[in-house]
Amino acid sequence: MSRNLEKNTAHLKQLFSFGLNKDFSTREITARYSNKKIKLFFYSSIVNSTKIHEGIIRPLLEAKGENLNSIITLEAIKELTDFDSIVDDINSGNVVLLLEDCKTAYSVNVADFQHRGIEKPENENAVKAPKEAFTESLNVNISLVRKRFHDKQLIAEAKPVGNRSKLDVTIMYIKDVVNNEVLENVRERLDQLSVDNVRNIESLEQYIEERPYSIVSSLLYTERPDRASSYLEDGYIVLLMENSSACLVLPVTFWSFFHSEEDRYLRFLFGNFSRLIRLVAFLISLLVSAVYVAITNYHSEMIPPDLLLAIVSARERVPFPVVFEIMLMEVSFELIREAGLRIPNPLGPTIGIVGALIIGQAAVEANIVSPIVVIVVALSGLSSFAVANISMNFTIRISRFLFIFAASFFGMLSLTGAFLLWVMYLASLRSFGVPFLSPLSPNYKSTNDTVFRKIIKNEYFRPGQIKPKDSRKKG
Amino acid sequence: MFKKESRLRAREAFAMIILMIGVKISNTTPSLFAQTGANAMWLMPSISFAVILPSVLLLYYLLKKYEDKNLVELLEEVLGKHIGKVIAFLLFLIFFLLLAIEGRSYTEQLKLLYFPDSPTPFVFFILFAIAFYGAKRGLETMGSASWIFFFYIKASVLLLAVLIFRETIIERIFPLFGNGLKQLVVEGAKKASLFSDLFLLAMAYTAFDSSKKFRLGVLSGFAFVFLEMTFFFFLYCTTFDYNSIDKVAFPFHELTQYVDMGNFFTNIETFFMIFWLFAAFIKYMIYLYFISWIFGAVFNIKEFEPLILPFAFFGIIAGMVPENAVINELVFKSSFMNMITPFFVGFPLLLWLVAKVKGDLR
Repeated sequence: MSRNLEKNTAHLKQLFSFGLNKDFSTREITARYSNKKIKLFFYSSIVNSTKIHEGIIRPLLEAKGENLNSIITLEAIKELTDFDSIVDDINSGNVVLLLEDCKTAYSVNVADFQHRGIEKPENENAVKAPKEAFTESLNVNISLVRKRFHDKQLIAEAKPVGNRSKLDVTIMYIKDVVNNEVLENVRERLDQLSVDNVRNIESLEQYIEERPYSIVSSLLYTERPDRASSYLEDGYIVLLMENSSACLVLPVTFWSFFHSEEDRYLRFLFGNFSRLIRLVAFLISLLVSAVYVAITNYHSEMIPPDLLLAIVSARERVPFPVVFEIMLMEVSFELIREAGLRIPNPLGPTIGIVGALIIGQAAVEANIVSPIVVIVVALSGLSSFAVANISMNFTIRISRFLFIFAASFFGMLSLTGAFLLWVMYLASLRSFGVPFLSPLSPNYKSTNDTVFRKIIKNEYFRPGQIKPKDSRKKG
Repeated sequence: MFKKESRLRAREAFAMIILMIGVKISNTTPSLFAQTGANAMWLMPSISFAVILPSVLLLYYLLKKYEDKNLVELLEEVLGKHIGKVIAFLLFLIFFLLLAIEGRSYTEQLKLLYFPDSPTPFVFFILFAIAFYGAKRGLETMGSASWIFFFYIKASVLLLAVLIFRETIIERIFPLFGNGLKQLVVEGAKKASLFSDLFLLAMAYTAFDSSKKFRLGVLSGFAFVFLEMTFFFFLYCTTFDYNSIDKVAFPFHELTQYVDMGNFFTNIETFFMIFWLFAAFIKYMIYLYFISWIFGAVFNIKEFEPLILPFAFFGIIAGMVPENAVINELVFKSSFMNMITPFFVGFPLLLWLVAKVKGDLR
């Protein structure tokens, strides 16, 4: 930077294409305390103008004092000496002050990015749970977490990512609990990112995950601040970013995807009952179509005679093989689901009518599918909604087709093999060094919070598989 | 991260050994025993157990003495490089042939009972293809999978035991010694290689979290599976009587076809077959992996995992050699089990003697 104000101004104006860039604003004032010119630069669209007026312009015009620090009434004033950091600061919503005959610039944070208010969780509903969800503002999100966990060791470390548009990724963790190896690994991965722009958590997840081709996600995506803070408490790491109404939790295990936060808010029996139902739903959704194909094609002797007769008479006029029938319905169900997700709200009911008509009634009456297949597929589709986590949901939906294929190949023999290999695949995975099925196997000292959980008073340990520094939670 | 520690603990060893040996309860082994033991065959595992136990304990004692050595390394350390390698290669051959013979035996059971129209090589191929993919996932994953499926497999077996209980008649165990005590003892001793998998698993001695946990897991698993086997053989003896027991080819599947759950679910054998298959797949995975491992150790191949595929292939080829199931069972399997028994009883003894003479045991 030069001492010459005009020169600095011209350079900065050129950098930001002043004139062409409509919301890039500048204002010149003669300060009362020094009788020198001061220039303010900022984006008018991302700053709070009242704050500028009350906190900067008015004191400069009216107040007397020694230096800038004693005059400006806002919280923090940063000194900058190069244009790179000036540009960064203006981009992130600061106002930058250039002074006459001065080689340093001053930057004051007056950012006011627009965002939604705090609303209810949309995708992770719960009856007995707090109703706040993350929103698309980093500060609000951090505040939502801090509100739930008052600890001076709760760190919110910022790490800039992106070469062109720099955005901070905030790594939250509890300093004396978190495992340093995992933390270091996360920092490394963020450092190694070489990309122009990472807009939000959703893209960040794909940038830092370990196995992009895998069927299973290695980070947990949640929109509930209470869930995030309960993970933090156990020694997990949470990643937050501006522009995302959710956070990422790592390292994860299978159980993180299987559990819902409400299980812990419900009483012991109630929570475990809902987990049992979820486990059943999980298995039904994964296997029921495949088992139907395997049994009707290869092991029909297993079906009790009356039921067998019912199935046969229902299939009597259907021209297709069972596998084709099942695939037809499964694909239609996936179509309805995908279309239902994308359809504009006013048209919403249409999809219900069309879906119910085509899939439910017309297909059966036209003898394209048998009613039993409709039941089987509806059951498997319905059950897949009980697995609420979106990543696990996709895992199950894709695996289901693998199993149907396996079952059609050699009945229970290949289906059993496929399922075994599928489980072994899960068992062989690691997320940030943590075995995916632990603490089921391999076992670690933990509360063994797998399918069922213990009474909350008996949970003495943090999950041992993530190797927290402080493994004891209580007692 | 966390790469140094092994995820294998006592419980994984426990589950692995039980699945490996426990599968023999449900295949053709009991009918093999019934050929000579008749209604007293439930006593034969005890005799085999008594015969093999000193060797097993001796081997695990030696492994403990020579810390941080797996089976092949121990052989080389005690017997010298060349003789050690020869014995290890013999071990490899024995287990490879066991893999082939038992693989064929399984294939025939599957084919006869559930897929009568499918060609044998094809069923064989599917069985080994799945075992191959599982073995490729590595030892740790196999250990975890054994533990994860262990409960469900044993729960299904327990259910079967409960359901069959009302069919049993305790008096069928008499005469207590069947065809005679002498024959029982001789035949039981000959078949002591029933527990040969214990020697195979010793290969993983150093792969576990700690060797103490490994020993604990394997030996407690051994005790468990011995009791389970005796109990199940007892069930077979009391369900089928003196006259028919040696004519039952697949006692386990026979039981599953006997039982029902009320009047509605009458044919539930496929339900038990699922868990039986889980156990069988896991057993062959472990076999394939360990055979390749021993082979790799004998010929100094560090990266032995690519060997799994060729051994799976050769396993099928060798398994297809016997003309039919009957020859495979009654000639090959029976005489092979008898042949290898002296080897398994003898070689730990030899190791111990040599180590004693060399003065390593002080």
